Amino acid sequence: MADEKGTLRGDVEEGEEPVVAVTGSAHPGKQAEEEEEEPMKVEVAVGADACSDDLSCGEADIDPSLLELADEEKCRSIRKQYRQLIYNVQQNRDDIVNTASDSLTEALEEANVLFDAVSRTREAALDAQFLVLASDLGKEKAKQLNSDMSFFNQVAFCDFLFIFVGLNWMEGDGRELSDYDDNIALSFWETVQKEATSWMLQAEKFHFIFGSFKSEPSARKPRLEHRKKVHRMEENGDMPTKLRKLDLNSNQEATEKEVERILGLLQTYFRKYPDTPVSYFEFVIDPNSFSRTVENIFYVSFIIRDGFARIRLDQDRLPILEPININQVGEGNDPSSHCRKQGVISLSLQDWKNIVATFEISEAMITNSY
Amino acid sequence: MLQKPKSRGRAGSQPEREQDGGRGGGGAEEAPSTSRGAAGAGWQGSRRAEASPKAGPRSQKQLELKVAELVQFLLIKDQKKIPIKRADILKHVVGDYKDIFPDLLKLAAQRLEYVFGYRLVELEPKSNTYILINTLEPVEEDAEVRGDQGTPTTGLLMIVLGLIFMKGNSIKETEVWDFLRRLGVHPTKKHLIFGDPKKLITEDFVRQRYLEYRRIPHTDPVDYEFQWGPRTNLETSKMKVLKFVAKVHNQDPKDWPAQYCEALAEEEARARPQTGGPAPSS
Repeated sequence: MADEKGTLRGDVEEGEEPVVAVTGSAHPGKQAEEEEEEPMKVEVAVGADACSDDLSCGEADIDPSLLELADEEKCRSIRKQYRQLIYNVQQNRDDIVNTASDSLTEALEEANVLFDAVSRTREAALDAQFLVLASDLGKEKAKQLNSDMSFFNQVAFCDFLFIFVGLNWMEGDGRELSDYDDNIALSFWETVQKEATSWMLQAEKFHFIFGSFKSEPSARKPRLEHRKKVHRMEENGDMPTKLRKLDLNSNQEATEKEVERILGLLQTYFRKYPDTPVSYFEFVIDPNSFSRTVENIFYVSFIIRDGFARIRLDQDRLPILEPININQVGEGNDPSSHCRKQGVISLSLQDWKNIVATFEISEAMITNSY
Repeated sequence: MLQKPKSRGRAGSQPEREQDGGRGGGGAEEAPSTSRGAAGAGWQGSRRAEASPKAGPRSQKQLELKVAELVQFLLIKDQKKIPIKRADILKHVVGDYKDIFPDLLKLAAQRLEYVFGYRLVELEPKSNTYILINTLEPVEEDAEVRGDQGTPTTGLLMIVLGLIFMKGNSIKETEVWDFLRRLGVHPTKKHLIFGDPKKLITEDFVRQRYLEYRRIPHTDPVDYEFQWGPRTNLETSKMKVLKFVAKVHNQDPKDWPAQYCEALAEEEARARPQTGGPAPSS
């Protein structure tokens, strides 16, 4: 059929109202009889504008030129009727498909009648177009037939979903979920989710129960690369996972970031209260978390090592942190007089508690970034 | 299931000859004894490895490690619920062990089933993609323990699956949106929970193989239709979806005779022993 359609299109003249493209070249099963008659007529009509060979003309004795003119009018009217028919059917598409009416059959019969008058390819093309449309609708109707057997009412399903979740509003005024509170929507979907998961054998998404050790909460990425060198396991002993080289670097970055952050906090304090050294313990202790305290001590030690602050004992023999100005570093401090000074701070859980109690530390000076 | 260094400690006390024997293989760490108590087999393995090149028979320990890696890989890749390709497995985990890939896969599948209760199945025969499904039926109390598992997309999915099945195993996209609009889910509007619902349904669910999304030919404007995807058939069944729909309606599944018959037929087909069962094929 495709070849014939091609030649049909080839014959359509330009400049007329655009003919909607004949899309259906493959509806073999649904062809009506007209379609079978068509090839015969098409072959006759191709390449011959004159109607002298045309079977539908009937009046073989009339002068050919006169015949052409008369038929031109007729053809135009046929085309108009076809287009009207197609338009009607498209407009009433829903009606035709959904109801048990005969309107589709009627339309087909109308096309049948029209086709008797068709003599040229242009009109035949329109007829083919109509047939595609009709067969589409026919298929739709057939589908409807199946589901009518056990009719599933979607609208009712929707209402029942609301009732199932516990939102009762069967007043039928078509209120939507979006009109309501966000919380209601959330609880709706959670309830549905709970019910739905009990009907599916979904494998749980893998995640660590207590999270990972990263300092920022990070989204889990699939760990794709594994080191293939087996001997590396020796070094990593207990570790069940093989670390990528990058992982170590990122840990270092985290440390540096933390150190910088705490340095910033310290410097802000010193700017706010110039010439007032801060008590070391007050600075590092987190009354709520012993582990954070230890981390803070660790980070502050970097600050001291890098020379951004100084720790010394005040008159009460308690450690304090003092700022070091940049100019101070240049003058006065002779590098050679810098003997290595080392301090070791040990802090047990009990010590930490005692300090919190003694110094009456109620909140951490070093706030968390997360 | 992993090798702890304790075993190496034990190996140290063993006579030197075993260490020499083990050294023939890939690495120096080939301690013949395993914590599994199969010391004899391990020792045998290392003896075999004496004169072999790198691609030769591996020791028990190496195998164990590989299987463990594979299990981890599968678990993590499954997070997104996108089927795992065999090519990915070979590239990232198996590598040199390609020749024993089927055995590795079988062992990993056993491990997954025994420890986690997950079954490794091939999505479709000969597709060389795998998914994990739960062998355990969900239990009421699980919901509390499960905690926050991200956005509740399964609810939306189940609704769509229900729609598809009840409307004859295929439904047009426009019908889906007509329905979902009433639930406050729009294809073009950003959703509080689902973000971009159109993307979720037409792309994510399709990529996860829960749904099939096909263009309907000869429609103007273009329309698409949804059908069940292969993953859906593995993770749930027509009967289960029907029961879900029935539960929502507070009715009996038999109230929809046509769908009930269809679901029943599928149940019977599944109960019959299948020739090409869903096991990881070599």
